[in-house]
Amino acid sequence: MGDKKDVWQGTLALMVLKTLQALGPLHGYGIARRIEQTSGDLLAVNYGTLYPALLKLEQEGYISSEWGTSDTNRKAKYYKLTRAGRKQLEKEAREWEQTTEILARFLAPGKESA
Amino acid sequence: MRSLRALLLRLGGVFRKTQYDADLSSELESHLRMHIEENLRAGMSLEEARRQALIKLGGVEQTKEMVRERRGLPILEIVLRDLRFGARMLAKSAGFTLIAVFTLALGIGATTAIFSVVYGVLLRPLPYPKPDQIFQLWEVNAKGNRVNFTEPNFSDMRSTSRSLEGLAECDAGPFTITGGSEPTRTLAAEVSRDFFKVMGVSPLFGRGFNAEDQREGAAPVLLVSHSYWQQYLGGSKDFSKLKLAADHKVFSVVGVMPQGFRLPDNADFWVPREIYPPNNESRTAHNWHVFGRVRDGVTLAQARAEFTTIAHRLKQQYGQDIDMTDAAAERLQDAMTGQVRSALVLLLGAVSFLLLVACANVANLLLAQAARRERELAIRAALGADRRRLVWQFLMEAALLCGMGGMIGVFAAHWGVDALVGLAPKELPRLDSVSLNLPVLLFALGLCILLAAGLGILTAVRATSGDVREALAEGVKQQAGGLREQRIGRTIVAGQLAITLVLLVGAGLLGRSLMRVLSVDPGFRTEHVVTMDLSFASLGDKDAEKTLQVKKLNDLFARLRAIPGVEAVGGANALPLASDFMANGTFLVLNPGQIPTRMEDFERLMHDPSITGYADYCVASEDYFRVLAIPLLRGRLFEDRDVMDAPHVAVINNALARTRWPNEDPLGKTIEFGNMDGDLRLLTIVGVVGDARNSSLETLPSPTVYVNYRQRPQSTDRFAVVIRTALPPSSVVSASREIVREIDPDVPARFGTFAQVFSSSLSARQFNLTLLVAFAATALLLAVAGIYGVMAYTVARRTREIGVRMALGAAASDVLRLILGQGLWTTVIGMAIGVAGSFALSRTMHSLLFEVSAADPITLVWSALLLATVSLLACWIPARRAMRVDPMVALRYE
Repeated sequence: MGDKKDVWQGTLALMVLKTLQALGPLHGYGIARRIEQTSGDLLAVNYGTLYPALLKLEQEGYISSEWGTSDTNRKAKYYKLTRAGRKQLEKEAREWEQTTEILARFLAPGKESA
Repeated sequence: MRSLRALLLRLGGVFRKTQYDADLSSELESHLRMHIEENLRAGMSLEEARRQALIKLGGVEQTKEMVRERRGLPILEIVLRDLRFGARMLAKSAGFTLIAVFTLALGIGATTAIFSVVYGVLLRPLPYPKPDQIFQLWEVNAKGNRVNFTEPNFSDMRSTSRSLEGLAECDAGPFTITGGSEPTRTLAAEVSRDFFKVMGVSPLFGRGFNAEDQREGAAPVLLVSHSYWQQYLGGSKDFSKLKLAADHKVFSVVGVMPQGFRLPDNADFWVPREIYPPNNESRTAHNWHVFGRVRDGVTLAQARAEFTTIAHRLKQQYGQDIDMTDAAAERLQDAMTGQVRSALVLLLGAVSFLLLVACANVANLLLAQAARRERELAIRAALGADRRRLVWQFLMEAALLCGMGGMIGVFAAHWGVDALVGLAPKELPRLDSVSLNLPVLLFALGLCILLAAGLGILTAVRATSGDVREALAEGVKQQAGGLREQRIGRTIVAGQLAITLVLLVGAGLLGRSLMRVLSVDPGFRTEHVVTMDLSFASLGDKDAEKTLQVKKLNDLFARLRAIPGVEAVGGANALPLASDFMANGTFLVLNPGQIPTRMEDFERLMHDPSITGYADYCVASEDYFRVLAIPLLRGRLFEDRDVMDAPHVAVINNALARTRWPNEDPLGKTIEFGNMDGDLRLLTIVGVVGDARNSSLETLPSPTVYVNYRQRPQSTDRFAVVIRTALPPSSVVSASREIVREIDPDVPARFGTFAQVFSSSLSARQFNLTLLVAFAATALLLAVAGIYGVMAYTVARRTREIGVRMALGAAASDVLRLILGQGLWTTVIGMAIGVAGSFALSRTMHSLLFEVSAADPITLVWSALLLATVSLLACWIPARRAMRVDPMVALRYE
């Protein structure tokens, strides 16, 4: 249970960072919608799980938050990437690519002997 | 780094809850609003849009809870909440809290104070590099006793052993420093070349000894202690001007040792051994302390084995000319503290017993408190609090109590340590390293944690083990429910009584030992005697010097006697009970004309037991015996006619007469005791005096030969004058000091009274006794409070039952018997365990007892009687209250 959750948390964090890099400062609802749209139904979980992840990233100093006004003129809390967050995103993205590449090679059928 | 930052922020989150909560609420609100708007735009009804948004979010409260968990540190929050709750509970019953905290403070404070002494003296490493490599070495003689080294044996050991980094000999003796406004006497140590290398200590200022200083006839140099340097040399670093005249030489001060370095024997000066001629002949003149350091990689055990081998080889080589049969080496720290170890360990044991008794009281209080809260606990359990949380709650409360008790205790220990150091006997080594330092504080902290865990778990397990439903129904059958904790309470009290009895017996045994020591007849009297320690320049063998010394002493006696109020004046080169008593050795019983002329013949005679004897050797005046009231049993004392040129005479004590000449008359026998003072003339025994316990009150008088200062003044450079006067001591001191100054201005005089000498010889015993009695008395008080508390609690819980009994016809005496019987039973069980415990434990005190058996029945019976009486008195009060229960009131109770 715990392991699965950790993986989910780690992945979610990476997705949050990527979203903020792509779209610039954004509120929690926007981030949730964006992740849902990009990942399709694969990660159709509660939006609520996003908030502890945001808090964790903020505590670690990768993102910062401040209150602002949305396009629909609503007050909302906006998150944006910090410099440390940018670096972390690069690092994690690289690691993620490596992992997937290795796993892809590993799982690709019939190529072991090549 | 990142996770540390997060941890700190989370820690902050614990304390800024409300602000964060409000922030989170509005964030989620705005989230929902945006989602609802979007759903509305997608064509949902308001109701549906709202529902979908909430479902998608996963619930507002659930989300909040998830965030909160991440924001603060949940465990810390629980701890803080429990602490707050615990503090409220404790504050609500302030009386209970106060008693518990102070009981714990008493126990923890006393234990911490004693531990600080034990740590400082026994455990704290010596302040030298690699202190475990330093050891002290002794010769072991045929009787198995450790004795000082002889110089040739030391040299052989040093040159043969391969385990050594260095080996050094040293000998401390008084040095009279002249040339100042007033002559002063100071302890100087002659140390051989590797001494400072062995200790790993070098001078703080100036330089150490070099090879140039360490040869015979070199210009005399010395090192001074830091305290002497500050006190007498004004802390001057201009060493070229620092010269000290002593011992017919002028020494240049070349360096100052670091503060606190006073080895050996609290020396103030260190002088190279090598400037004096070596003594390579005698392997039976045991004059030297030997210290060494083992090489890196060699253990002391290995070194010890090697020393033994070398000692055996030397014994084989020199046969009868050597006393050494073996060698003994001990870590320096152990060697320094060996004599006090058993007493300190005893005190630590006693104080931990006191702590146990104190804890038992607190445990009982906590149990009673927990019983009172049974309903609260039951309700909390029924509402879903799991057992772990309840146990945790008790642990927190115990932690609070122990924390407060510990803080007060450590604070009290701070004063306690000062008091202990002040009270401690002078002989206690390393007192300067006793303080409330970090390791001691850690010990106190550990103690608090241990107590908190023990007390907390005990109460928690007890309080949460019951059945919830039963507890909720308790109100109905109040009287039965308390039975179990009453039984636990009585068990604890029995344990308390047992421990207290052990302490009482220990204190009793020490007390009886002291009484025995005090009732010993020392063989001399101590009242109205003023003592005056004098230190003359050391004498040579020349007749002129001897004559001069005799004249000085004669003058001194005559003029002191003329002081008004002085009744008699005598003197000797050593006083009874002063720590370093006289020399001793082997004498020969010879007839005139038998005195050999060659050294080898002496050696041969020395090995013939029929003409040898062993005795202490003391140079005295005839009035020495009169002042100290040592009785003349037969013959005569010294007289004026016994001058240097007259036949030399000796007085012996009864112990020597009895053991050396059991069936003969010792009067008129002639003995040769030249190895004491180099004078080979025969001594004719002219008198026998009573025995005096010279070395200590606790050892039997040893055989002693007294010689006359007029004939054998060689070893009177250290001389103690005893003055008998009915006047207050101060009235003769200044006159005496003036007389000494006129007779020899270079002689420092130190005054005291014989009563002081006498009482300081008992100070170690009194120190142990005082502390043990204090511990035992405190434990007794606590135990009495404990049994009173438990019995009073029992009576309170059983009031209804007693009422019923009385309503059914029980007489008051039946009730009294019921309650008192219970107290008696508890007492008897406690005492039985205590007696067994005393038998087991008092054995360990063996070395501290004097003429009292560790299983002394009188002590045991009296201690048990005292405890039983006090404990039954404590039961009597609640029992009487039970007897007076009014059935009508009792039945309406609750």
